[in-house]
Amino acid sequence: MDRIWNLVATEARIELRERFALAGILLYVLSSSFIVFSIWKQLPAREWGLTFWVIFLFCALMAVLKTFGRESEGRYFYYYTLYHPLELFAAKVFYNAALLIFIFLSLWFILFVMAGGHMVRAWWFFATGMIASVGLSILLTLISSISIKTQQNASMTAILALPLMIPILINLLRLTSYALGTTPDQNPWNEVTLLGSIVSLITGMALWLFPYLWRS
Amino acid sequence: MQNSAQPVKASRIALWKWAAIIILLYVFIAGWIVPLKPGIIEVSPNKALAGDKLVLAIKGYNTFFMKDPNEIRAWLRLTGDTVIKALHVEVVDDRHMRAAFYIPSVFPVKQDAYPLSLVIDHPADGSSVLPNAVFITPAGDPDSAEMSLWFRDKIDHIHRASGVRYPFRNILAETIRNTYFHVPMWFSMIILFGISAWYSLKYYRNGFIRYDTISTAFIKAGLVFGLLGLVTGMLWAKNTWNAYWSWDVKQNMSAIALLIYAALMVLRTSVEDDMQRARLSAGYNMIAFVLLIPLLFIIPRMTDSLHPGNGGNPAMGGEDLDNTMRMVFYPAVIGWILLGIWISQLVYRVDLLKRNQ
Repeated sequence: MDRIWNLVATEARIELRERFALAGILLYVLSSSFIVFSIWKQLPAREWGLTFWVIFLFCALMAVLKTFGRESEGRYFYYYTLYHPLELFAAKVFYNAALLIFIFLSLWFILFVMAGGHMVRAWWFFATGMIASVGLSILLTLISSISIKTQQNASMTAILALPLMIPILINLLRLTSYALGTTPDQNPWNEVTLLGSIVSLITGMALWLFPYLWRS
Repeated sequence: MQNSAQPVKASRIALWKWAAIIILLYVFIAGWIVPLKPGIIEVSPNKALAGDKLVLAIKGYNTFFMKDPNEIRAWLRLTGDTVIKALHVEVVDDRHMRAAFYIPSVFPVKQDAYPLSLVIDHPADGSSVLPNAVFITPAGDPDSAEMSLWFRDKIDHIHRASGVRYPFRNILAETIRNTYFHVPMWFSMIILFGISAWYSLKYYRNGFIRYDTISTAFIKAGLVFGLLGLVTGMLWAKNTWNAYWSWDVKQNMSAIALLIYAALMVLRTSVEDDMQRARLSAGYNMIAFVLLIPLLFIIPRMTDSLHPGNGGNPAMGGEDLDNTMRMVFYPAVIGWILLGIWISQLVYRVDLLKRNQ
């Protein structure tokens, strides 16, 4: 566990060394919210939820995209001799999850300021965001480890990840509509269970396949 | 490499391929030639007032009214036992007839409007039903003495149509034959993708590049079958749901499933190194197949859908798939799956030849 935290700390140090990295993501979130908001002019509850996840999805793609591209190939070879691939994977997932939670909270804050709260069950939305951050961070880390090996890294991540994200996204939207109170008489635990099983399915696949995919 | 001087021996076609050919010939011939059972397409007028005489012009499908015209009986049914029998029936030709009813001015239940189903019985054609054929608006001055009219008649001595025929379902009509093409396409796709994932697993275990080529061939064939499944489904949807694409959850999920596999093919073209490509696509293929299960089988079941088998609709049960249809449907599934495996084998051989060139 200590070794993983070491890696996470290294990740964070590399990221923060470039000042604009985190600020860049924040700026991305802010400007895309501005674009969406200036098109819609106002956001009623239902559209608020949809807009939120669309922006979140693309910001998440943007943020996780360069997770393996940040360091040189030589350094990964060095890591390979030091760490088990799963330790590296866990570190990347933890770091990306933290990044996605940061995006989630800042996007929530921005949309709250711009378009109002609309929240009926704010804690449910918070929980949804946490599940989304962890689940998408696992999926996107796995996919970007595949796409880093190809020629067109950036577009490849989007092509491979977007269809795989849809089952998660559908359940996120349902939970969000529960949190927003747009569909009142609904049992959210069904969605939580389904979301949990999809995320654990992906986690299982990732733990099984990452060491294999990473070897090169 | 084949020596050009050597005579090329014609290869013999394996037994299971002959089976596929024969089964599919049977499916195409039986699927298209066997007629539907008789049914009622429409009646006019479809609205009427209670407490009045109503003459319905009835249009039949595959019916032979001219045979025994005096034996035809017709009823309008409100619920189970509350029916009124036609006063008299007049046959125009084989496909058209008229039936005169007296609609009582009172009803045993209280509603704003009363949907009545039309039931016809004919000695040769058997019985046919058109649900919600006429909508009755209540009369201004109900006469409670007419209540007994509802309980005077019974639907009895129903005839059954004879011969090998597919059931006539309202809305579906002739498109019921699509069952032999649309449904087996998806079965074949799942089987082909499953075999492909199995070979990816074998590649993961052994690392023989041959397994990667086989797995890719199965994906290519499976994609074609999935695309055909989508197209046949869209044609069917145009005829029954009135739109090629109505953003039904089943349509969306199957389109996404195809997108995932199309992404896999894009992934393969963007990697130069053979071993690298094989490893990445084996990994992605296994992830894709595992995620296919919630996409196609769990999420559509949890939402409202028009598609049979989802959102409370029955799938392939009851009268939709009777014994006559089963005699074609099950062979069709086997035939299409065998054809899919055959196509994959050919794709594999072509890929192998290209690689060796």
